[in-house]
Amino acid sequence: MALKALDIYKLLPKKNCKECGDPTCLTFAMKLAGGKADVDLCPYLDGQAKSVLGATTRPPIRLIRVGVGERFFKVGEETVLYRHEKTFYHPPGIVFRVSDTQSPDEIAAVTRKVRDETFTRVGTDLRFSGIAIENTSGSAETFAKAVAVVEQQQAHLPPVLIAKDPAALSAALVHCGSYRPLLHAATGENYREMCALAKKHGCPLVIRASTLDGLILLVKNCTAEGVLDLMLDPAPENLGAFITRSTQIRQLAITRSVPELGYPVYLDASATGMQDAALVLGIVKYASVIVTSPLPPGPAKASLTLRQNIYTDPQKPIQMNPGLYRVGNPDRDAPVLMTVNFSLTFFTLQGYLESSRIPCFMLIVDTEGLSVLTAVAAGKLNETLVRDSLKKFGVENEVTHRNLIIPGYASPLSGRIEEASGWKVMVGPRDAAEVGEFLQEEWKKKR
Amino acid sequence: MAADAQFGWSGTIGEVTLGATKAEGGTRRVSYRIGGGTTLPFLEKERVSPSPLIAFEVCDYPSFWSPIIRNYCGDLVNNLAEWTKTADTRYGADLIRLHLNSTRQRNFTDIAAVGKAVETVLSASSLPLVIEGSNEPKIDSEVFQKCGETGQGERLLLGTAEAGHYRSIAAAALAYNHALIAQSPIDVNLAKQLNILLREIGVRRDHIIIDPYTGALGYGFEYSYSAMERIRFAALKGDADLAMPIVCSASDTLSIKEVREADPAVQDAIAISWEFYTGVAAAAAGAEIICVRHPQTIGMLKEAFAGMKARAGPEEVQ
Repeated sequence: MALKALDIYKLLPKKNCKECGDPTCLTFAMKLAGGKADVDLCPYLDGQAKSVLGATTRPPIRLIRVGVGERFFKVGEETVLYRHEKTFYHPPGIVFRVSDTQSPDEIAAVTRKVRDETFTRVGTDLRFSGIAIENTSGSAETFAKAVAVVEQQQAHLPPVLIAKDPAALSAALVHCGSYRPLLHAATGENYREMCALAKKHGCPLVIRASTLDGLILLVKNCTAEGVLDLMLDPAPENLGAFITRSTQIRQLAITRSVPELGYPVYLDASATGMQDAALVLGIVKYASVIVTSPLPPGPAKASLTLRQNIYTDPQKPIQMNPGLYRVGNPDRDAPVLMTVNFSLTFFTLQGYLESSRIPCFMLIVDTEGLSVLTAVAAGKLNETLVRDSLKKFGVENEVTHRNLIIPGYASPLSGRIEEASGWKVMVGPRDAAEVGEFLQEEWKKKR
Repeated sequence: MAADAQFGWSGTIGEVTLGATKAEGGTRRVSYRIGGGTTLPFLEKERVSPSPLIAFEVCDYPSFWSPIIRNYCGDLVNNLAEWTKTADTRYGADLIRLHLNSTRQRNFTDIAAVGKAVETVLSASSLPLVIEGSNEPKIDSEVFQKCGETGQGERLLLGTAEAGHYRSIAAAALAYNHALIAQSPIDVNLAKQLNILLREIGVRRDHIIIDPYTGALGYGFEYSYSAMERIRFAALKGDADLAMPIVCSASDTLSIKEVREADPAVQDAIAISWEFYTGVAAAAAGAEIICVRHPQTIGMLKEAFAGMKARAGPEEVQ
């Protein structure tokens, strides 16, 4: 099915004109082979080469942008069913919904919440992605007013406009038509009018049908109308239906068995009556835009954290920069704790050190993101690294003592670290949860 | 012809029985056969495998337990019988998982008390029981022997065997016909190795539940999620040494920073969300036993699993 880079290269003009944005035709061919570029970027391909290449090199799931400006997000261009096969690339936009029957104050408050709230964990700011306005009133005028209230907040959030009636969408687009809103939804009945609106404003369009065949038919109809930026709403009536349809869509798309299904999936998390569970499943099972009611603190933090976890590249553990980190305001007698630069190790230890309320130094050594256990086993964590890190980060100038606390799992290295560095080693606990108690009992007693 | 994705699976998840009713030689009011899956979780066209089970965790030494649960349950945690009974009748758990964490005390030797705790839980609830024994070579053999003996005939699930720490558990499981949990550190190959070790000393595949170790949400959960997916994938591709049901026990959940240091006004809500999000995601990856500590998580998970088991589409409804 899929062509190799060299096969593709044979079909390219081999001019190395750089007009596609790549330095050579060969690098462009490699991108095409990986589903990372669009064949239309090459202006010199003849029709036949294009049709051969188009079907096999187009990214199996189309990349769709929602919104403009700083907060825009893009979804699609996924290539695998399991994150461990490669990675998931574009985290789903989680979008808070308001209804046009709510008061302007309520609508404004939700908009500002999405605009302003951030949740910082493991050094990254996590935020919700946009705002969906739903036409529950049935009135085009009321809908347009609600959209106007959202835009007045100057939040510049990617909008999702939800209405059955094309006239209502048309009225709302007066206020946000140039901000690349996502329109929901085209069905068998209204797709012509919906396509006309999407084309006029250059917006992505969600199509909605509860069977795969229904979706395929609508994709054919909408692309024939000239709308190419589509998303698929499989209209799940329960959670099981979502898992089944979303998984089938992903599998049929990435294997290129049904190219019509090669678009990102849209999920209304509240439609199944179990919003939290739908959010979880949307995140792990291939949804790209998830609409939800505004979330209270528990689900808000848990969903952002889950999204961050699942969309972390499994081949690249998040690493910290090696160095000397301070917890609180440590003085020259403060303890020094050494550990590895695997970010989870760092943040877990840092959390427990903060709650111990004992100011201290964390000496983070470069194990290329390996955890303590694996770094010791692989020999990455060794006495030379510790000695060099102590020097490099000037720990001797920060404290007057020469005592280094090492992780419990690094205890086999204690003697060699003492010899190499001249520092006295104390073996700390294996579990970071016990570090507070360790500092209280062992460190304070010693001092 | 309707579009339909083909995965070409050849394997089936093996079945494991937990608990024994009177007819099966025990005293439980129900026994569970879990496993039996033939495709990705929740994708079966007919209902073949059952909904994931929810295990509520109790312990015999509550001062080592999460303060969030001690606050929420109050005095209940100091009365193992009542705590267990409440988990069964009010919280609606499917399984009780007893942590014998009294054995984590320094120089613990009171083996008789261990047997008592197991007895207490067995008589307080007639649900099938999971027992987490000691993790201390000096007492393991006696502790597991005691657990196995006390629960004879009840088809307990004993935990937790690890590479380098599995002989005592396996001996007790073999002697008294109990199932056991085999834990490996988030690695599909290590999971397989341990299962082979267990098989070599006589533990049958239909007596093993895989625990791939679950990191807390935000603290490595993604590794566990992928380990579960890989185990399920290998099993469906025909690897019998990985074709066992999976247990998800994210035991650090209540002590991670986001939960531990949450504003007291929303701490319970955050703890529940954290357990719930972990449990639903793990079930989607293939876990068939989900362990929780907060009582309120149970009902939410039950409802979610019922929704995930629901079949779609008019053609199936007919």
